[in-house]
Amino acid sequence: MFRRPVKEINAEFLAEEKYLDSIQRTARESCIAASMSRKDTASVLLAIEEGATNIIRHAYLYEKGIIRLRIVIYKKLIVFSLIDSGRSFQPSGTGALDLEQLVESGRKGGLGFYMIQKIMDSVEYISTASFNELRMIKHISAPSPIGHTFLRRLFTLRVKFSVWTFIIMCVIIGASIYYFDYRASKLMYTHKHETVQALSKTIADQAAGYFINRRSDVEFDELIVSYMRANPELKLIVLTDSANIIRAHSDDIRNIRRPYRVPEQVSADTIGVPQPVTTEFEKFSYLVTPIRAGERLLGKVHTTYSTAGIYFRLTESRRSIFLLTVVLVVFGILGIYLLSNYFVSPILNITRRVRRFTSGEMETELPLTGAEEFFEISKAFNQMMTRLSQDQRNVVEREKLAKEIEVASEIQKTLLPRKLPEVPHLEIDALYRAASVIGGDLYDIFKISEERYCLAVADVSGKGVPASLVMSILRTVLQIQAAEETSAKKLLTRVDGYLSQNIPTGMFITIFLVIYDAETSRISLVSAGHTPMLFYDASKKAVDKVNPKGLPLGVPLAEGRSFEESLEELVVKLNHEDMFLLFTDGITEARGRDNSQFGMERLTAFFESYLNEHAAEPVSNLSEALVNQLDDFTGFAKAADDVTFVVARCRRCVKEPVSSESDIQVKKLREKEH
Amino acid sequence: MDNISISLLEGGRTEISEIRVDGVIDTLTATQLEDVLDSLLKRDRYKIVVDLAGVDYISSAGWGIFISHIKDVRARDGDIKLASMIDNVFEIYELLEFDNVLSAYASVDEARNAFGGSGDDQKKKSEG
Repeated sequence: MFRRPVKEINAEFLAEEKYLDSIQRTARESCIAASMSRKDTASVLLAIEEGATNIIRHAYLYEKGIIRLRIVIYKKLIVFSLIDSGRSFQPSGTGALDLEQLVESGRKGGLGFYMIQKIMDSVEYISTASFNELRMIKHISAPSPIGHTFLRRLFTLRVKFSVWTFIIMCVIIGASIYYFDYRASKLMYTHKHETVQALSKTIADQAAGYFINRRSDVEFDELIVSYMRANPELKLIVLTDSANIIRAHSDDIRNIRRPYRVPEQVSADTIGVPQPVTTEFEKFSYLVTPIRAGERLLGKVHTTYSTAGIYFRLTESRRSIFLLTVVLVVFGILGIYLLSNYFVSPILNITRRVRRFTSGEMETELPLTGAEEFFEISKAFNQMMTRLSQDQRNVVEREKLAKEIEVASEIQKTLLPRKLPEVPHLEIDALYRAASVIGGDLYDIFKISEERYCLAVADVSGKGVPASLVMSILRTVLQIQAAEETSAKKLLTRVDGYLSQNIPTGMFITIFLVIYDAETSRISLVSAGHTPMLFYDASKKAVDKVNPKGLPLGVPLAEGRSFEESLEELVVKLNHEDMFLLFTDGITEARGRDNSQFGMERLTAFFESYLNEHAAEPVSNLSEALVNQLDDFTGFAKAADDVTFVVARCRRCVKEPVSSESDIQVKKLREKEH
Repeated sequence: MDNISISLLEGGRTEISEIRVDGVIDTLTATQLEDVLDSLLKRDRYKIVVDLAGVDYISSAGWGIFISHIKDVRARDGDIKLASMIDNVFEIYELLEFDNVLSAYASVDEARNAFGGSGDDQKKKSEG
């Protein structure tokens, strides 16, 4: 439909009235870039604002939303598209709106659309299931400067080159013609003058003899007539004596013995130098030559001669020179054209390729031909393009990755409990700190019934979106199944049964699950291949590792083995001040500055010493201290893995007889450990 | 974000009210102008000159105020006269063919004078 666009701009804005300014600013820049006239720009901006306002009001009804502005600049028109994903609204009046109606109705609605239609040359409203587009087209009335610059870019170099070469050529030809012509004519005139001077001298010498010998007038006359005959360029010879009386006159013999009057333009006293005389029809030279006998002046020879012959000869030669020049110039122009082609075409070629490249054709390579300089440019350009397209691919990759991280962290956010539930007699704190790349850690603490609560820490193998999705499945399944099952072991078995069918092969989950019974103060524990729990026995002031056996969730089992059988369930009776810490390997495997691991021993030691020193402090202090300890150790290096832990302390002040059963359990636990 | 200022001038003896607007009349600011206009109409003041010399930009919300009231105002022998629009605004006014509906004057005085005749008539009528 249109020719290739010159430029396309895409921008997104929040659908709020305070962003109308930004929308207009973007549109204004495009209008200026397309060199739309100031008047048109003002009205177009108005129309854009109206369109955007309509979207905010009618499509999104002031709710949250995005307005996408797409501006496509063509040579002679701009297409503005306002795209939204809100409610589709048919602009009132569907185009046939007129001002009279508006005034008549006294309503304001529809005025915006009326204005858009008045301002724009063409308006279309496209509504699909997923988006609405208000497409407005405005012609650019002034000749587009982009077209201009395009032309300039294409032709300037050539035209500049040609014009300058032509000018230089003309100056050189003109100057040389002028120089040679000047020299030639000067030479010819000088020669002529010299000839006439010599001739006049001869006449004067002869006349001197005639004066001395007192020759008759007839003899004088014969003298000059003979010279006149011999030299056709001579027009007039007049001989005067010392008293300026004419002794011989080549034109009219009757002038003899009369005083001589020189023509007005010359002086009789200017001796030996040709003087120009101009009559109505012709130009002459006038020469006065003295007639001397020794030092005595006897008279003067006045010679008038024509230089027209030279003039004609010069004109003739000039004509042929002119013809030659014309031929030269024609050939010169041809040469310039070919030369400019030779120089400009590689540049045009590069330009064309670059343009193709910018329009998205990445695979363009410049042929490595032409002069050395162009060869270099082409090479540099090819390198640049390769780099660019590589970079672009990297950017696309990076964006994909960034998007994935964004999605994963979005999911992750929804995974963690927003608020820790109140658990009777249990003081709980939990922490999740994501590594730079979203990992697959999870903790969850939720209420199953009035007395029973579930505390879990899990770690999914792998990172990113898949891990996050599996986490989200795990959490959902755990919460749903928890209501059904009373024992931790059975619950985890149910969860495994569901998950093993629904998670990608190769992915597995380790989880430490604790079910706390508030009534009996017992916790039952199962671990599916997870790192051990740390248990602080307040009466002994000692920390133990608690590590019930169990396979991770989602691991394919060997023939004859069942997940349920692999699980060992432990029950521990909590006494006042007893504490337990659930965590993921992000803590124990944290790397220190010397690349050593934080390790289980360090954690156990920290836990024990801290609790013995700060027994009365709230558990949140413990989490803080743990995090600080960890950061001290890693030196704030970027954590490679997530850090997740849940810590809980029993706050049962009611003294009740310590049941022997629980003691046995704990003892049994310790035996297992050692 | 409030880039509008409106001042109201109600000459004691004349029936003409003058609204002077400075700034931008857009979606965000138009209500302020409408409030002022409404307050005039409520007090039966229908001869209104709007001095737009200080207005850089009027969006549909702004034009809508004038367009939506003009019929009622004229029905009561009044008018809304726009005065001293800057070039940018006047070009839009012409482009949108509002000149068919709203009258515009180069200056406030011209707009006031345009009321002159009918204003006096009104006065005489009411006196008589």
